[in-house]
Amino acid sequence: MSQSQAGTQSQGARSASQAAEEAKEVLSASVHDVRHFAAMLRGVQFANNNNATISLTEAGMTVAVEDSRTLLATAYIPHTIFDEWTYNPPATASESGTQSSEASADTVRFDVQLATMIECLNIFRTSGYYAVLHSSTSGDSDSKKKNWRGDDSWAAARDAKANDGGDSGKPTAMRMSYAGAGHPLTLLLAQDASGPKTACHLTTLEPEEQVELPFDDDQKIVRIIMKSTWLRDALSELDPKCDKLTFICSPPSAPLATASSRFTQRTAQPTLRLMAEGTFGRTEMDYPNDRDVLETFECEQLTRFSYRFGHIVRTQRALQNSVKTSIRMDEDGVLSLQFMMPSVKVRGKESANQFIEFRCLALDV
Amino acid sequence: MRFRANIEHVSTFSHIIQSVEKLSKRCIIKLSETALQIICAETEGGVQVWSRIKVDSLFSEYRIQSNSNNEINLELSTESLLQALKSANESSEVMFKLAKKGDHPVLTFEILTKSHQGKKMQITHDVRILVKKPSDMEKIKEPLCPEPDVHIVLPPLSKMRIIAEHFSQVSNMIGVSANRSGELILSIQTDDVKVETQWSGCEHPIIPKEVTASQEPQEEAEVDPAEYHRILVTSRSLLKFLSSYVISTTTIACICSDYCLIMYVYIGEVDDAGGVLTYYIPSRSAGSALD
Repeated sequence: MSQSQAGTQSQGARSASQAAEEAKEVLSASVHDVRHFAAMLRGVQFANNNNATISLTEAGMTVAVEDSRTLLATAYIPHTIFDEWTYNPPATASESGTQSSEASADTVRFDVQLATMIECLNIFRTSGYYAVLHSSTSGDSDSKKKNWRGDDSWAAARDAKANDGGDSGKPTAMRMSYAGAGHPLTLLLAQDASGPKTACHLTTLEPEEQVELPFDDDQKIVRIIMKSTWLRDALSELDPKCDKLTFICSPPSAPLATASSRFTQRTAQPTLRLMAEGTFGRTEMDYPNDRDVLETFECEQLTRFSYRFGHIVRTQRALQNSVKTSIRMDEDGVLSLQFMMPSVKVRGKESANQFIEFRCLALDV
Repeated sequence: MRFRANIEHVSTFSHIIQSVEKLSKRCIIKLSETALQIICAETEGGVQVWSRIKVDSLFSEYRIQSNSNNEINLELSTESLLQALKSANESSEVMFKLAKKGDHPVLTFEILTKSHQGKKMQITHDVRILVKKPSDMEKIKEPLCPEPDVHIVLPPLSKMRIIAEHFSQVSNMIGVSANRSGELILSIQTDDVKVETQWSGCEHPIIPKEVTASQEPQEEAEVDPAEYHRILVTSRSLLKFLSSYVISTTTIACICSDYCLIMYVYIGEVDDAGGVLTYYIPSRSAGSALD
C-alpha cells in the first residue's frame, strides 16, 4: 500500500506534464464475457431507478446501492474477473490525498444509473443465462421486464438457445474505460468482429452520500454460514406480502448432545428460527444445528431481531446466484448478509472473492 | 361484386397480417386483378403501411369481378383476419370468398383440415368486413416523400429488434442514421446515458434515378459518402416496424432527414419479390419525446 502511495505522490509532483496525465485514463479494463460482471451488478439492482455508487481501486470495483437509508447493498468485484484491469489514480485525487487518508486517495467514486448500465451490458441479450434464472424469482421488483420477456416466446427460445451455447449465445466482450471526473463511463461492447458494435457512454454523477452502516466483526454476536440453497428455499416459501422477518438464534446446546437429546432440545429452543409475520398470519421455520445444514453456527446469547421483509426480499437476486451465505448480526441488530458468488475462470486462473453484501438495520422493537 | 381465391401460402399470408396486426386494429385490403394491397393509413404513432403483394405469390384460382375496374376495397379487423388464418395454418386447402351473411358482407374462409385422429374436417370462418366505395378510397393517399438522403440494406431485423428492445427500455426515442459507406447506427441519448450501436458493411441498393433527374443534376457530385443522415423516431414505432422480422428476408431503409423513415420489407428475395411491405415512420423532434 505504501509503495503505491509513493508512486501516486511522485505522479502528483510531475503534474506539470498535464498532457501526459490526461492521456492516461483512470480506468481501462476489458473482459471477454460480460455475464459474470452483469450478474454481479444485477445482484445489487433492486429497483428500476436507483443510482449506484461505483468505487474504483487498484483491486477492483465496488458497486453500492442503498434503499431508505436502511439497506445498503454492495457488490465487491475483484479485478481478477476482468481480463485486463489498469487503474491509474487521478493526479488531483492523489494531491488532495496527501492530506487525507490513504484509502480515499486511491479510490475514485461516482454514481451511475444502474438499471441503464445493466440494460447496456445485456444489449445483445447474451447475459440471458442469468436472466432466465432471475425470471423464475418470485416477488421480483423488476416485473416490467419480466412481463416483457414473458409474452415474448421468441425471446425465451433465444435465451434457451443461449444456454445451449448456440450461435446466438456468443459471449459479449466488453472494454470499459473511465477518463476521470466529469467524463462518462464508457463501455464498448461487441459479440464478434463482424457484428455490430455498441458504445455506451454512461453519465457519471458526483457520488451521493451513502448511508453508513458500519459492521464491526468484533462486535458480532451471531455468525452463521450455510449453503445459499438452504436460505433460498426458506425465503421462497414465504408469502411475499409478509411485513417483517425475524431471525431468532439461540446458543447451541451442550456439545455432548446426543441424537436423542437433540430432538427434545429442538422442540424447546430452536438453533435458528426464521419467523415471518404478515396480516394473514405467521410462518416459522427452524433450522437444525446440523453440520450439513449450518456449516458454521456461532451465537453467544439468545438473539432476536426483526427486519422489514421487503428489504430482505431485495437480496433474492444475489442469493439466487450465490453458493454460500454468511449471516452476521451485531449487538444493535445490524444484519450483514454476505453472498459468495461462484468463482470464475479467467485465463485459466480461478478468480474467487467476489461477493455481494447486504447490510440492513433492524426494526425498532 | 364477386371474389374468390385459394390461399396457397397460408403461413406467408398470416405472417404479413401478423406484422400488420401489431400496428393497427383495422386495415384496408385493396384487391385488384394482379395484386393485393394492404393499407394501414391511420395508426397511433403515425406509422403507415402500404404493401403490395402479387396475387400469384399467395393465391391460386384467383377470380375477381366488380363494377369499378374489377377492384374491391375492404376494411376489416386485422385480429379477426389473423384468427381465421390461424385456423387455416395446418390445412391443405383454404378458399376464401366474398359473401353475405344476413345483412352483413363477410369474407368467408373455407378451410379443409384434419383432426388429430386424421379425420377430415371443414372449418368455415367468417370475417366481417366493410366494403369501401371507390370515392372513399380516393381520400386515402400514399404519403409523398422527398427523395431519400440515403438507401441502405438493413442487417437481419431479428438482430436489430433485440437492440431496439433494449433501447426502448431506456429511451422512448431512437435515432437511426446511415451514411453511404455501408454504416448504420441506432442510437439513444438520455440524461443518464448515450448509446450507439453501429453496423458496418451494409450494402447499398442501386436505385435508378429517373424521378429527380430534372431537379438537380449536380447534386450527386457533392455527396460525401461518410456523411451521416439522421432521423429520430419513437421507440414504439420502430419496434412496431421491427415486428415484421417474421417475414423479412431483405429490408431496405431510406432516410428522408427530418421527414420520415421508409422501410421496404421484401417478401421473398428482392429479385423475385412476391411483394413488398412499405412502412412510413414519421420523424419526431427530440422535443416531442413525451409519449
